[in-house]
Amino acid sequence: MTLTATIPARVLVTKIGLDGHDRGSRIVAAYLRDAGMEVIYTEPWQKIDSVVALALQEDVDVIGISSLATDHLLVPKLMKALGNVDLGHIRVIVGGIVPDNEEAVLLKSGVSHVFHPGADREYIVDVVARLARDANANRSDG
Amino acid sequence: MNKIDTKVLDDRADRDAMAEEWRRGYEEQVSSDKVVKNRSGLEIQPLYWPEAGTDPEFDRKLGFPGAGLMTRGIYPSMHRGRTWTQRQLIGLGRPEDFNGRIKKILKSGASALSIIPCNSVYRGIDADEVEPELLGTCGTIINTEKDMDICLADIPIGEISIGLNDPNPFTMLAQLLVVAEARDISWDRITGTSNQSDYISHFVANHMFYRLSLTGARRVQLDAIEWLAENVPNWNPLSVVGQHMQQAGATPAQAMGLTLASAVQYAEDCKACGLDPNKFLERFTFFFDISISFFEEVAKFRAGRRIWARLVEERFGVTNPRAKRFKFHAQTSGVDLTRQQPLNNIARVAVQAMAGILGGLQSLHTDGYDEVFTTPTEGPAKVAIATQNILKYEAGLCDVIDPLAGSYYVETLTDQMETEILRVIQEIDDQGGMFKAVESGFVQKAIGESAAHFQDAVDTGEQIIVGVNAYEDEADGTSHPAIDRPDPAWIQKQIDSLAVYKKTRDQARVDTALEALRAAARSESQNTYGPLVDATRTGATQGEIIAVLRDELGFGRPLVVA
Amino acid sequence: MADLLSWPDLMDHNVPETPRLAARLVDGEPAALARAISLVESDTRMAIDILRAIRPHLGHAVVVGFTGPPGAGKSTLVNAYIAELRKRGKTVGVVAVDPSSPITGGAVLGDRIRMAEHTLDQGVFIRSLASRGALGGLSAAAAQVADLMDAAGRDVVILETVGTGQSEVEMATIADIRVVISAPGLGDDVQAMKAGILEIADILVVNKADQPLASQTHQQLKTMLGLRGPTERSVPVLCTDAINRAGVGDLADAVDALADRTERRDDRSALAGRTRHLLAQAVSKAAETHVMQSRSEAIALIVQGIQEARLSLSEGARQVLNDLGGEVHDG
Repeated sequence: MTLTATIPARVLVTKIGLDGHDRGSRIVAAYLRDAGMEVIYTEPWQKIDSVVALALQEDVDVIGISSLATDHLLVPKLMKALGNVDLGHIRVIVGGIVPDNEEAVLLKSGVSHVFHPGADREYIVDVVARLARDANANRSDG
Repeated sequence: MNKIDTKVLDDRADRDAMAEEWRRGYEEQVSSDKVVKNRSGLEIQPLYWPEAGTDPEFDRKLGFPGAGLMTRGIYPSMHRGRTWTQRQLIGLGRPEDFNGRIKKILKSGASALSIIPCNSVYRGIDADEVEPELLGTCGTIINTEKDMDICLADIPIGEISIGLNDPNPFTMLAQLLVVAEARDISWDRITGTSNQSDYISHFVANHMFYRLSLTGARRVQLDAIEWLAENVPNWNPLSVVGQHMQQAGATPAQAMGLTLASAVQYAEDCKACGLDPNKFLERFTFFFDISISFFEEVAKFRAGRRIWARLVEERFGVTNPRAKRFKFHAQTSGVDLTRQQPLNNIARVAVQAMAGILGGLQSLHTDGYDEVFTTPTEGPAKVAIATQNILKYEAGLCDVIDPLAGSYYVETLTDQMETEILRVIQEIDDQGGMFKAVESGFVQKAIGESAAHFQDAVDTGEQIIVGVNAYEDEADGTSHPAIDRPDPAWIQKQIDSLAVYKKTRDQARVDTALEALRAAARSESQNTYGPLVDATRTGATQGEIIAVLRDELGFGRPLVVA
Repeated sequence: MADLLSWPDLMDHNVPETPRLAARLVDGEPAALARAISLVESDTRMAIDILRAIRPHLGHAVVVGFTGPPGAGKSTLVNAYIAELRKRGKTVGVVAVDPSSPITGGAVLGDRIRMAEHTLDQGVFIRSLASRGALGGLSAAAAQVADLMDAAGRDVVILETVGTGQSEVEMATIADIRVVISAPGLGDDVQAMKAGILEIADILVVNKADQPLASQTHQQLKTMLGLRGPTERSVPVLCTDAINRAGVGDLADAVDALADRTERRDDRSALAGRTRHLLAQAVSKAAETHVMQSRSEAIALIVQGIQEARLSLSEGARQVLNDLGGEVHDG
């Protein structure tokens, strides 16, 4: 007899900075759930420390940050904080209105992907699934 | 002005008499009506209606504007007598930036002003408490009465209607009042609306604007309504907001139903406090989103007017005809606008604006075509105002009151929307009222379902969005132009000026005033709004005031339904 | 130990060296606990190694299960209880279980939103689990995750689950102390409370005590308890108002009182009973997966037989189990 064991990807969907609009992040959470992933969903206005604590406790593969205005400019600080506690394997993605020059800054700080409005469901799910696999392949365990 | 009430409409009234009554009211409002002719030389009347003896439903369901159920408009003359107020939202950077922009906007045709504060203000924190890169991007940094004074430099605040977009506990209004006082302008000359006073809608659908806890906000709102009725009699303290729920995904009928249910909740709260419905309902206003579903929006507003007039009489025994008026401001819906091919948004906004105008709004904000990226920049803001003027002067949308009346489609749709809206209201009644329905997550779930449904329609292509899932442009996918961000050095000046302000104010007076505010909040019966204004006068910042209220009344944890 | 470490890993994961991971976990490192939970939850090869390594460190924690219908204010009460425990200097682990979609297998886990005030407190470790197809709604791994938190030194492990399906029964096998929460005016009469709830509950809580019907609900529960025989253990019925944090101190006291008397997790007989139950659940799940996914001719024939009413369902089940090589007895 066979036991199929597929381990669902675990994704933290959250918001940092000042914005509180969560229609977009809610939609993405539903996309990921419908693709078989486990989504840990939080309130907006998370502090960087809180995101790190959540990611650690929940052992997530991917962190998705939904941003409005300049919230995403805080993400490089998050990348640094994750590195400081040995969570550098976690893949971070950002969704929001991000101009090209700011996208470059994010990618340079270690963000894996920036999504723009209008990105379609399949694309988002594919990218997240791929990044979850990457994250696992890159865990530094001991 | 009009003596006809709803009961008369139930009978087969003499329509000509009603028309006479309307004409008298119309002439009172339009002192010198000129003859309006169209391009073909035909004279256009302000209003059209079926002849007596035809259309038996007319008297019961439509009637005349400014009377009875007011389906056709809350005033006899509507836009022909006085066009809607052009109230464009503005907010960016520092108070100086706002002042420069508002002067330009007023010059290019806007007739009222509306201030959006920075996101940090929405969270109730001052400029010295937040990461600088987050400041001034979506609204103006206004922390003190001095900031407000700079925003409104050389603006005749005693003569112009002001929309303030800060939520509970309305610290911006307090700042405005202190500024007026310093300029020797008596408070009864201050007119405008607290546009984001609907804390229930924030709890449900716009967590951005949600500061105090649900019960804390309830307390402050009632205090403010009471205090303002006495001290600033021409201010509308409450705007019941349907915009957030519709933008969060509620259908137009749902948004209207939920908004009316919220209004009922607020009215009940006011009544329980001993306030007189005939008085306070006169000061209730509404604020709606206008989607691009053109006819649906027109029908939504007409149905809303009709329902409200009947509802306040039935539930609150209102006899004052002015307290039955469904006054509303509307904003074209940013959710319908696209990032792709942004110039298309100009057409979208024009259609949305038309729907609102033909739906009988009192005040309108049209979005800039770059709304998706930012709060309005100068160029797109000008186009947005021009759009309204084009509709007014070139398309002649002000010439006839409720011109779509009598259309087989529009009347059927109005009736159907009414039924659906009433169904939503009933569902909320069954939950024990809006407050309970929101605490339990019932409303949030319902809206979430509508949002998911719409998203599915877009994802599958059933709902076409031009430029997004059809008629796409190759170029759209790749480039994301730079967005103007506030200059960090300029923003730093604002943070520095706040520090200077805090040093030069009389700290002892500030502390005393904040203590008095705290004591008022802690007591269950003392009005908190007077002390809040007092504290503002001494120089307390909005962050300091909200911190006190946060301690005593709880800070907002909106129910996030995953 | 070296042999086990050299087995190829079936999963697509980089696997940690188990002895070091277990040691770090026992040391109290949150990152190690988090990682161990993932490995155990996914039933990887390393899972049994970890569980074996932590066995000597079990028996310290009290496992308190909270269940109740949606709308009873369970999450708010758990949040208040955590705050009370922290005031009393206890460290806490929380296992919050939410249902997975039976169709997609995915889940949105939002329970911890209500416990957000504790995110930065190192004394509180919260983990969200999806039920992952467990029939009753409680993750099969939940018991093992509770063990991991115990070994990590947490004084109290809270298990939170929605009161649907058979999750109360499942929770009963895992928790030392079982708290069942209800609230007035939920639409269900207290009489309609699922059969067996009163047998399972160690503590009954009526939340939303500020509501007018609360005392009525309280009385109804006490009456129902009184209808049981005199030899039945006494079950306290408490009133709380979770939002205003009233009655939570009493709840903590009641749990403490029971904890002293209850069999602890190192009591072998109780543990064996629980383990047998968990094994039964695992067998159920495995058998279900087998029947659903098998392409064997034999099973297809059994299905046909049931459809054509030549075989009853129970006879069909017996045949499947025999097909798997076991001997099945009635009763």
